[in-house]
Amino acid sequence: MAGMEQAPATEGAPAIAVAGLRKVYRRTTALHDLSLTVGRGEVFGFLGPNGAGKTTAMKILLGLAHPSAGEARIFGHPVQRRAARQEVGYLPEHFRFHDWLTGEALLDLHGRLAGLDADERRARIPEALERVGLTGRGGERLRGYSKGMTQRLGLAQALIGRPRLVLLDEPTSALDPGGRRTVREVIRDLRTQGTTVFLNSHLLSEVEMVCDRVAVVDRGRVVRAGPLDELLAGSPEVRVTLDRVDEAVMAELARFGQVDGVDATTVTVAVDDAGRAPDIAQAIVQAGYRLHALVPVRRSLEDVFVGLVQGGDR
Amino acid sequence: MKVLAVARLTLAEAAKRRLLLTGGLVSLAFVGLFLAAFWFIDTRATTPEGVMSALASTFLTIFGLYTIYFLTGVLSVFLAAGAVSGDVDNGILHAILARPLSRAQYLFGRWAGLAALVTGYVAVMGGSLLVAAWLFADYVALDPWATMGLLALQALCLLSLALLGSTLLPTVANGVAVLALFGLAWLGGIIGGVGRSVGNETLATIATVVGVAVPSDALWRAASYFAQSPLLLVAGEIPGIPFASTVPPSAAVVTWGLAYPLVALGFAVLAFSRRDL
Repeated sequence: MAGMEQAPATEGAPAIAVAGLRKVYRRTTALHDLSLTVGRGEVFGFLGPNGAGKTTAMKILLGLAHPSAGEARIFGHPVQRRAARQEVGYLPEHFRFHDWLTGEALLDLHGRLAGLDADERRARIPEALERVGLTGRGGERLRGYSKGMTQRLGLAQALIGRPRLVLLDEPTSALDPGGRRTVREVIRDLRTQGTTVFLNSHLLSEVEMVCDRVAVVDRGRVVRAGPLDELLAGSPEVRVTLDRVDEAVMAELARFGQVDGVDATTVTVAVDDAGRAPDIAQAIVQAGYRLHALVPVRRSLEDVFVGLVQGGDR
Repeated sequence: MKVLAVARLTLAEAAKRRLLLTGGLVSLAFVGLFLAAFWFIDTRATTPEGVMSALASTFLTIFGLYTIYFLTGVLSVFLAAGAVSGDVDNGILHAILARPLSRAQYLFGRWAGLAALVTGYVAVMGGSLLVAAWLFADYVALDPWATMGLLALQALCLLSLALLGSTLLPTVANGVAVLALFGLAWLGGIIGGVGRSVGNETLATIATVVGVAVPSDALWRAASYFAQSPLLLVAGEIPGIPFASTVPPSAAVVTWGLAYPLVALGFAVLAFSRRDL
């Protein structure tokens, strides 16, 4: 740790830089060797099954938990320093607060803690409430808020200090469809403004809708990271429907890629390149089968995710 | 200032949880009872020489202050026992500490808010009692300001100890532990008194060690000295009041009383800064 204290925060440093991060709790290892970089202005999806270490990683980024090894920086500042949290907004997974506070009082407190002066707070509080769809509800006590309203207020709290980096831990899990839409809109607004967003989620469809880049984490390690498009395009599939399926045709198809599944007379094959579809058609017809359909399939993030976290060494 | 924001939140919390209201009402009852006692014992009428009058007034005042000492001790423990552990358990702290706020700043803000409450309580209760004694019985303590200051200091010591415990233990366990230590300090004071009266060095040493670990009783005894009537203190042959001191406190007791909250707060910062939330 002593070495990283001396390195100055640089202007062009990435929003988040994590290298070799390890976190061992008494009995379990939550993070094994986590490394990732999030560029400024990116909307970054951090995906993984429950217990993969997503929340632990986020807590280390916020200085709430201490890493056992490795280093993490935010805008170039080591996360152990207060400066790292200067321009950060955070929505915890289970956002809770003193239920006797009003929404406005809560935002005022967080505005103070974020270092906003009285004028800034007066201007920012109604703005933030409006942003999350709570206009006119700020004077009510949190006790009377529904789960969804509390979560929206939590989001307003994360935005109050005009952060350059927003960390959202499962922001939509407690929300109804309207609330989810609000969160998506807020994230898109943030991207437009050039704010970096780090989104922890296991709701893949949400991630697919808003993220530029993703990392899939499983058992404390990043198993795949990259732009969302690349991840989805990386391993196309072809779905072939025939008059009959037997071992001979399976062997034939296996020449083109791994057979992922068979459903009645439909076989799904993972291929290296979707451009090989005509070759597959030709091979099948030449082998004496009748071809009913041959459809290149774009895999969903869910397919990729399930393939990544359930395959391998589990 | 961020520390101030946390302190304000702590005060608001006490107000919203009706702590101020109920605490105020109960304290009012206490002061009322004390006033009634002074009213009905007409201390001026029965005593030709004034010494008996001073004795009665001193007894009433010392025991009144002793009750305040006990109440503030319990109040300090109750207020601080869950000050940190409670915030950790209910998840409130995550969003707060994700701000550019160090754990030391958070703890100091928490401490300052609670210290303001406890000091205010001592000032109101002790003040009403001493003013009542003065109005109804012309009773003037040796040094009312030192009395109040030392009473507040003993409460701040317990408060700081409970805040330290709150960074390490769950709320209830911490509350039980610090209350037990409060009792231990009380017992230590008695052992010390017995030791001095029979000239037993070992007992006196035990009392000193306990007093260093938890100085609440030692500080109470210091406060009690300044609360007595100068008349009574001059008339040295009159047996001292149990649980009160007829000798002035040593500089070491007062110095340690002043340093203790800072030391406890320092350990609290060390312990809490290392903790994973």
